[in-house]
Amino acid sequence: MRLPKFEYFEPKNIKEAGAILKNESSAKILAGGTDLLVNMKHRVECPAVIVNIKRIGELDYIRQDNGDIRIGALTPLKRLHMTALITENFAGLAEAAFAVGSYHHQVMGTLAGNICQQNRCMYFNQSKWWRSSRPTCYKAGGEICHVVNKKEICYSTYCGDMTPALLVLNAKISLTGIDGTREILIEELFSGDGKAPLSLKPDEILTEISIPPDANKGVASYIKFANRDSIDFPIVGTALWASIEKKEYRVAFTAVDRKPVRGQNVEAFLKGKKLDEKTIKAASALAAKEAKPLKTSVYSPSHKRRMMGQLLQSALNKVVRRSTQ
Amino acid sequence: MKQAIELNINGDVHEILVATHHTLLEVLRDQLGLTGTKRGCDLGACGACTVLIEGEAYLSCLMLAVDAIGKQVVTIEGLSEAGDLHPLQSAFVDQGALQCGFCTPGMILTAKAILDEEKHPTEEVIKQKMAGNLCRCTGYKKVVEAVMRVAEESGQEV
Repeated sequence: MRLPKFEYFEPKNIKEAGAILKNESSAKILAGGTDLLVNMKHRVECPAVIVNIKRIGELDYIRQDNGDIRIGALTPLKRLHMTALITENFAGLAEAAFAVGSYHHQVMGTLAGNICQQNRCMYFNQSKWWRSSRPTCYKAGGEICHVVNKKEICYSTYCGDMTPALLVLNAKISLTGIDGTREILIEELFSGDGKAPLSLKPDEILTEISIPPDANKGVASYIKFANRDSIDFPIVGTALWASIEKKEYRVAFTAVDRKPVRGQNVEAFLKGKKLDEKTIKAASALAAKEAKPLKTSVYSPSHKRRMMGQLLQSALNKVVRRSTQ
Repeated sequence: MKQAIELNINGDVHEILVATHHTLLEVLRDQLGLTGTKRGCDLGACGACTVLIEGEAYLSCLMLAVDAIGKQVVTIEGLSEAGDLHPLQSAFVDQGALQCGFCTPGMILTAKAILDEEKHPTEEVIKQKMAGNLCRCTGYKKVVEAVMRVAEESGQEV
């Protein structure tokens, strides 16, 4: 399967990369390539310009800085589940990295690449031949969203594994453009628009992910339910962070909406409560109402909603076990 | 657009003219004749195109050839030394861990990357890390047995 032709750039630093991105509106950033190149082979993304940022050396690191953990955008996912600083303090993040695709994807894929991956849909992530049997969907450049049969709207689903694990740690991200760097909460990155899922300015690149010091004062977990454990995107993924002592909890889901979602109702319900069997069951029953999944994969929305509760229950039980160890 | 580049494949430097939109897999097979690296799904889902880049298991179908400039690439053709099979290759033969052989180069190179990373991995770790290499005939039991055998036998680099 040939890739479509494109103009290729290998900037030496972020500023140079930002300048190219600003000049070329259809340019795409290439990091690990495990998402973008597949979409290009399927001809659902055909950027005129590719900006390979892997030659920018300063974006691959995991370090401690005044209590924050700072992770460079190009840090391979494999490093996250093989670095003691992460596995010992942020088990949920390591679990999410280990859950991404296959081992090869974890070697090639980068943390920022996983966060910034394209939304997915059964009408979008298909070969050109498969898609030719119906009008081109809105996300791929047509007019209609086949999920809801409406024009000029896109209900594709965000399926990243790393983002929910970072959401529950209250992680921040640095976006660097030609005018400088701004830091935002990771949830602010996601627009909720299936066609353009990321709120990035044209010249901005996600350069760093930082985890605040209070994140390691709790226990975290990420549980992914997928068709095949070995390689698939999540049908539903659930991340949980719990401070058993303070009775504070944070919950996030992936693959259930156009963007990753925080389980705010579940969090409010759990706040101040001890995690006993009754509370866990009641919280899990609330999980299904945190998102409105649509049929963007072969799994039905009702199945996804049920799995949100099931996974939350498993995650809560896991953090209880983990906190007593 | 074509670009003249140098690629270090199996220790040999190749000067070639490549199109920037060609993958490493395309260049290995179609330009350099190194057909040991297999084109399976061509979408990063089967592991048949695995090569080693700086010792790590990469999917060559999802890597641009120009991205391999300056990196040490090892394909299955570069594994044996002076006509002697690599211990992993011998173990695959001895254990009968292949049938049609299409997935075997990818399996062996992934196994090498795993064993270079961790000398004595558990069976569970081998299964988890090799789960991205699909086989459609032999199955996986003998493959895991072959890799385990090498992991148990070797005290030295594999």
